[in-house]
Amino acid sequence: MKLLGIVGSAAEESYNRQLLQYIEKEFANQFDFELIEVKDLPMFDESNDQTQSVAIQNLNRKILKADGVIIATPEHNHTVTPALKSLIEWLSFKIHPLATKPVMIVGASFYDQGTSRAQLHLRQILDSPGVNAIVMPGNEFLLGNVKKAFDEFGNLKDEKTRAFLQSNLQKFLKFISVVSKLDDAPEQLPDEDLQAKGSVATTIPDVNMSSDHWVEEAAAKVHPVKGDTYVQLDHGILTVNQIDELLKSMPFEITLVDGNNQFLYFNHTSESASMFAHRKPEQVGNPIGDCHPARAYNHVKQVISMLRAGKLDVFRMPVPHGPGKYVVHNYQALHDTEGNYAGINEYILDFQPIIDWYLKKTGKELTGGNVDAVSGASKKDNTEKTDAVPGASKKVSRQQPDAISGASEKAAPVKPDVDAVSGASKKD
Amino acid sequence: MKKLIGIVGTNSATSTNRQLLQCMQHHFQKDATIELMEIQNLPMFNKPTADKLPDIITEMAAKIEAADGVIISTAEYDHSAPAALINALDWLSYGIYPFVDKPVMVTGASYGALGSSRAQAQLRQVLDAPELHAMIMPSSEFLLGNSLSAFTEDGALKDTDIIEKLDGIFADFLVFVDIAQQLKNAHDANKKAAADFDWDKIR
Repeated sequence: MKLLGIVGSAAEESYNRQLLQYIEKEFANQFDFELIEVKDLPMFDESNDQTQSVAIQNLNRKILKADGVIIATPEHNHTVTPALKSLIEWLSFKIHPLATKPVMIVGASFYDQGTSRAQLHLRQILDSPGVNAIVMPGNEFLLGNVKKAFDEFGNLKDEKTRAFLQSNLQKFLKFISVVSKLDDAPEQLPDEDLQAKGSVATTIPDVNMSSDHWVEEAAAKVHPVKGDTYVQLDHGILTVNQIDELLKSMPFEITLVDGNNQFLYFNHTSESASMFAHRKPEQVGNPIGDCHPARAYNHVKQVISMLRAGKLDVFRMPVPHGPGKYVVHNYQALHDTEGNYAGINEYILDFQPIIDWYLKKTGKELTGGNVDAVSGASKKDNTEKTDAVPGASKKVSRQQPDAISGASEKAAPVKPDVDAVSGASKKD
Repeated sequence: MKKLIGIVGTNSATSTNRQLLQCMQHHFQKDATIELMEIQNLPMFNKPTADKLPDIITEMAAKIEAADGVIISTAEYDHSAPAALINALDWLSYGIYPFVDKPVMVTGASYGALGSSRAQAQLRQVLDAPELHAMIMPSSEFLLGNSLSAFTEDGALKDTDIIEKLDGIFADFLVFVDIAQQLKNAHDANKKAAADFDWDKIR
């Protein structure tokens, strides 16, 4: 479950930010929580549209991907802050990422009232047609007298308040699953062209994509730098050879597909027969439709369209490669500096050596009955009281189960329908 | 003759709320002077810890302080007043209190039929907050719906019924400004209450 927290204050110091940070910390084992800020965003101005700015587009993508949003609002003059209202105006002008998104409202204030009026205004605002969020009814969380509410570690002092917040958040998680059932008709994402008939800014025109010698033919058109020529990167300077060496040294196979669904590169670490994906040099340049059997097209299209739309950051799929291996194909969306979709980095990684190394180093064992090996490990971690590296165990309990349980779910035959993929989005 | 300020309640370059205030400025020129005040290009309110307010804010506050009354014409975005207007009001109540007991008339224009009704309702609650504490004229809603087609080329209102309604409300507002002068017994206490509601104590 992926939740987004919006800090409704533009002030440097904010108890509403502190409240969300507390939620992030306290409930880390129940959901992934990312905080976003409204400060430093431009004031909404309908005569100066900045919807396409990096800042707004990044927020747009994050909100689209989140399963739910928690907004923490201060109260100024009986209403919400201009900075929060301005953000909502941007998100209801040309784009509408909050539409049908489950939203929970919380608020902290200095006085007893605890943002009661601002929360009511915010409910009306979120209910307007341009925003069209689905705000959880009831369950008002007003944190009054906030100066005395937190201890020195940023934890809520009052036990009843903690319990009330906990119960509200539990209800919100249920509310999210209820809301998802309201939406009978799944959103239709645009169809993907697996034959790469279109083009993007970097497409090299007038070269036969299906040619076995696409790389040589395309090189003759654009004369790419190579060998010991320097290239400046973010952040560093390398020669083309050094980039090649770096990519070939990665402990996984990388394939890059651009935003036009054209296969442009793989790190050619060894003979194709001994690579997990069996990529052949002559395949480079192909439309990705040429790299998959037609029966897989629907599923491939579905994954790409969700990555393109920002519904997923990464899609993971385990592919059996025999005993002693746990090979996962990871389809990671690429974005340009302005946040636009730029293609896919497919990295294929055998997790098993990592797991083995981890077990060896920590002295832990895989235990458990019918659970699969790896989720058993994470279970063990959660109960491990004396852990030399507490930070590490936290990482494991949060991240491993995500990656692996998503994967194990996928191990079942993948049906090219929405359920399969929404399950994935939930896990990721 | 009464001196009024007309606040254009949006930062948009084109606005039928600006048009409405310009129309009122012209239409009521025999009864009052209405100086239009813009809220464009104000910094985003962020509760700065420094004492000094931006110059543009202190200038606006001085004009409001000196005026007999204020007309705020609000647009409606997402069922509420534009962020830009809330922003201006937050600045104009941050350690300065020009609105306390200031007679205020609320108007609004919108492209749709509802004429900013919900934004006006929220704006009235905002103006009632302790640090603004404006004296809002009660029972005087002026909603201009379908505002894109409401004006002639010369900027006058087309519909005589609407003009009649506006005439009535505006005449009442001028009386309300006079009455408000007599409702100043609690003024000192109100100013003190606004100042005691100290932002320095609030983060």
